[in-house]
Amino acid sequence: MHPTTLRVWVLFFVLVAVALFFSTQIDRYLSPRLFTRISTSVSIIAIIAAGQAVVVLTRNIDLSVGSIVGCVAYFVGGFLVAFPETPPVLVPLMAMGVGACFGAFNGFLVSRFRLPSIIVTLATLAIFRSILVQSSDGASITTNLMPDWITEFARMNALVVSGFQIRWIVVLALVVFAAMHIFLTRFRAGRRFYAIGSNPDAAEFAGINVQRTVMQAFLISGALAGLAGFVFLSRFGNITVVAGLGFELKSVGAVVVGGVNIFGGSGSVIGVLLGATMIDLIDSSLVRWPLVSEFWRDAVLGMLILMAVAIDVLLTRRLSARRTKAKDGRSDPATDATADRAG
Amino acid sequence: MVAPVLEINGVTKSFGRTAALSDFSVSLEPGTIHAVVGENGAGKSTLIKIMTGLYHPTSGSICVDGVETVFESTRAAQMQGIAAIYQEPMVFPDLDVAENIFISHMNRPARIDWSRMYSEAEEIIARLGVKLDVRRLAASLTLAEQQTVEIARAISLDVRVLIMDEPSSSLSNHEVQRLFAIARALRDQGVAVLYISHRLEEIFEIADKVTVVRDGRHIHTSPIEAVTHDVLISRMVGRDMQDRFARADGHATGEVMLQVTGLGREGAFRDVTFQVERGEIICLSGLVGARRTDVALALFGIAPADRGTIEIDGSKVDVPTPKAAKGLGIAYVSEDRRKLGIAMSESVTSNVTLATLAKYVGKLGIIDGRSERRDAAGWRDKLNIKAENLSSSVGNLSGGNQQKVMLAKWLNASPRILIVDEPTRGIDIGAKAEVHAILRDLASRGVAILIISSDLPEVLSLADRVLVMREGRLVGEFSGEAVTEEDVMHLALGAGPNRDAA
Repeated sequence: MHPTTLRVWVLFFVLVAVALFFSTQIDRYLSPRLFTRISTSVSIIAIIAAGQAVVVLTRNIDLSVGSIVGCVAYFVGGFLVAFPETPPVLVPLMAMGVGACFGAFNGFLVSRFRLPSIIVTLATLAIFRSILVQSSDGASITTNLMPDWITEFARMNALVVSGFQIRWIVVLALVVFAAMHIFLTRFRAGRRFYAIGSNPDAAEFAGINVQRTVMQAFLISGALAGLAGFVFLSRFGNITVVAGLGFELKSVGAVVVGGVNIFGGSGSVIGVLLGATMIDLIDSSLVRWPLVSEFWRDAVLGMLILMAVAIDVLLTRRLSARRTKAKDGRSDPATDATADRAG
Repeated sequence: MVAPVLEINGVTKSFGRTAALSDFSVSLEPGTIHAVVGENGAGKSTLIKIMTGLYHPTSGSICVDGVETVFESTRAAQMQGIAAIYQEPMVFPDLDVAENIFISHMNRPARIDWSRMYSEAEEIIARLGVKLDVRRLAASLTLAEQQTVEIARAISLDVRVLIMDEPSSSLSNHEVQRLFAIARALRDQGVAVLYISHRLEEIFEIADKVTVVRDGRHIHTSPIEAVTHDVLISRMVGRDMQDRFARADGHATGEVMLQVTGLGREGAFRDVTFQVERGEIICLSGLVGARRTDVALALFGIAPADRGTIEIDGSKVDVPTPKAAKGLGIAYVSEDRRKLGIAMSESVTSNVTLATLAKYVGKLGIIDGRSERRDAAGWRDKLNIKAENLSSSVGNLSGGNQQKVMLAKWLNASPRILIVDEPTRGIDIGAKAEVHAILRDLASRGVAILIISSDLPEVLSLADRVLVMREGRLVGEFSGEAVTEEDVMHLALGAGPNRDAA
């Protein structure tokens, strides 16, 4: 089995095991209500994580997504307050456009000047947040100022099957994941993200435009963070300057737990969806678990990230060890000492 | 005669004042395997980089199909059907074989038809006459298989010129034969193959033509039938007399300072046995990849040996870390100034005292700057380091002076055994002579010196004895007075000595 596929299955079974574990700990845990709650709250972080995954595939990271979510939610909310007649279908597109502008700024700095993305996006995390604080002047956007449809959208069901309510925003997230999955597995432009993360030097030698590909990754991340900003606005209605705070940690967590190699080059968005679900499931279950204080939630997330990264490193080492062994086993003893390093 | 597909006409490529290639010309005809041979640093890699568009010639021109062309980028060279495969294959470990082949194709549809891609990949792999599952991830392939993938990628791009840079150096005999079969098949399909290798026997097996490069110049091109091993070797090493350095008398004392017996490290080198006397200069010669540096790293404890013994002054010692080596009076001056040797942004003084800071720590653990500067000034005068100011950063000095700073750093530790790796690479001839004089002076004071050098004239002028390594083993020893460059090259290339080793 392909290692990525294996990771996804393992993750799926762990997810089921975690759910079963909590069902033994918490009364009336497994219920349609749990499904609805988890699926709704996970859709925001999952959309962000889908974009984050593309960036991580290219050996980069986008720490500014939380600030982008906040900014977009605030700006789009403000726009709706000023122009309540805007056709609803344009609003998510506008959110993605604004998000993509933030992403373009990150991508420009990282690809054009070859700056390390962890520093660039750490800086823009702060800068974008300050833009939000400054332009809002501390004032919040509240539900009653905006047209009604925006807050109703998050509560609208697309489908109800025997008590399981599937909200439209869940469908939206699933559409995003289906599209990203097809893009990353079936399109050459998508495969290039894997190529440059897998071996940037080889990509350069093979004539792939590495700068442009990195730029595209940040554009996608920004646009999806923008879309998440729209969903955030719809779900919470009231937007303050702390909107989206901490989403960078959760999205990176979902990506890493979801089996995307933090050193780039491998992973799938299906895994990311499971990773996001896992994080959200644990997060919201801990709140109801009397044995552990809910203040440990972040620590649990941190532990999950560490575990996932440790698994990645171990797998990579195992793989390269096996590769060396295969090479030694096959080579002729007379030339064994012929080595690949300069002497 | 067939018209050449790629011509290099009078190309010069300079880096600062040194020319890596000067007025170099060569032409590659379709359906020909053209070998290029030369010593380390003769200009072969520069030639490849010019041909693949990685470097731009300082002067001279490149013609494709008789039309003068400028390669703006590697992409441009690729569009003309020029591809290169390297000793270290350039594959994408996380992608499968088929994707590795087609990833950089521009003229394929945006949407990937996986089953069609697999069948096309299988077709190309079959054309190479090898068996390889195109669905396997490249990370799981052997080096030889990864090379095959690279060749397949080149073929899929309608390659007309295939450059193979030391492709065989990490392959087993069996794998080399398979590689040759592929190269011959490509030649028969009309591809011009440029084959670069250190192994002369391979050249005679596969090449139709051979070109000798020396010191960045084109020396000779001829059909392979027209030359012999000896002729090639003498063309590779033949130098003008003016390049030679005068030999000086040795200072060997007969007292064994360092005795190495059966030293080895898994996967690097084995059965290395030699001794260095107090005051003696030993040169370790061989080609790049002969694992000479690994022996030095083992002696200095960076990559400790896992077999054999090291004795200093007759008593057996363990060298598990560089710190232990320093304690035993061993110093190692690395070949890679930038990465391992020098803190470029630091001052001359701090670099000189870096390895011996303990000497300057006074009361309360505070470093005594005055005595630091005094010692640094002492070395500046002794080694004639041209630095305006001891507090200016080393990065501003010339290569030769940086090298001297690095020597000073280790000489300040008063070593008994000094290992110097490529002491004069990339520095000008005047500085080179000075470094040689410094090393000789040290030997006369009783330091045992082991020099790793690819510069044969340097080896011949400095060494009391020359040891030759090839593929991780010692293959011969010469006394420094009687040896010639041809002797050393014969052994280093594995062509067998043309006379008994002295």
